Amino acid sequence: MSQQINHDAQALREYRKRKSTKEMRMQVTNFAIMIFVTFVAFALVAAELPKEFVIPVILGLAVLQVVLQFYYFMHMKAEKHGISKLFMITGVFFGLSFVVTFIYIVWLGDPLFVKTK
Amino acid sequence: MSHEEAKFTADNWPNHPETASMEGKNKLVGFWVFLGGEVALFASLFATYLALKDAVPSEDHLLAKDLFHLPLAFVMTMLLLTSSLTSVYALYHMRNFNAKGLFLWIGITILLGLGFLGLEIYEFVEYVHQGHTFRSSAFGSAFYFLVGTHGFHVLIGLVWLTLLIFRNRGRGLSIYNAHKFNTAALYWHFIDVVWVFIFTVVYLMGALG
Repeated sequence: MSQQINHDAQALREYRKRKSTKEMRMQVTNFAIMIFVTFVAFALVAAELPKEFVIPVILGLAVLQVVLQFYYFMHMKAEKHGISKLFMITGVFFGLSFVVTFIYIVWLGDPLFVKTK
Repeated sequence: MSHEEAKFTADNWPNHPETASMEGKNKLVGFWVFLGGEVALFASLFATYLALKDAVPSEDHLLAKDLFHLPLAFVMTMLLLTSSLTSVYALYHMRNFNAKGLFLWIGITILLGLGFLGLEIYEFVEYVHQGHTFRSSAFGSAFYFLVGTHGFHVLIGLVWLTLLIFRNRGRGLSIYNAHKFNTAALYWHFIDVVWVFIFTVVYLMGALG
């Protein structure tokens, strides 16, 4: 009987070890992708390509890297993260509206008719 | 004997010790709420920076494309990104009930963070010598406020992680302190998230002109 319990404990230990090793391997893969993305972004800028092309691409790469960071390193892909996601998305919504508004007012549009008056 | 005081071994240590107590569960949700607020804080600083980029009073002030050195920004990015991975290793050891591994990898994370902070201070001193200060232009104010707030977060993270090691090194792992390490690691990852946008928006887009 006690042999059986020992055997079960042993099996459980091995199962958990396998599972966490697999999880860690995925994290390292994720890290490698993030390093690669960073490298591409710096290389694009160093290559002195036209900036109309480079700026949207490096912004896209930044978003990709942040999504990887949230989902894998910060475990947002795990279950029971509904409230976390709600607050994070609310933060991102406000953040984006700040940035878009500022860029529009200062650089693009003329909503207060300062220049056309 | 309450659950938190129970003696744990590698066999009965829970899969997710950081959420095994009610305090741990609440702390995780509460910390994500805080991070949502941090997103709005940093976004407003980014908006200010983008609005005031290269806004200098006269032509003898340096602009973004004259100031930033990509190799330095690249090294800082690599340091911070690697420190994100080492904190994942720390939590991996925590889940395997290996306190020694946890403290070792948190220590490595702290060293990488210190390297990043040292380079940032060196960078700021260099800019001040070139006449780019907090008060020299609106561009300077926006730049130092954005990057400096991030640097301040790095400093807070380093103090936090150091205190965690000193406070818990004699205690060993328990349900009581597992969520403390998890929260600090989340904060450290968030610092890296903000840096991803700083190196893209400030340094890379700055070098493009």
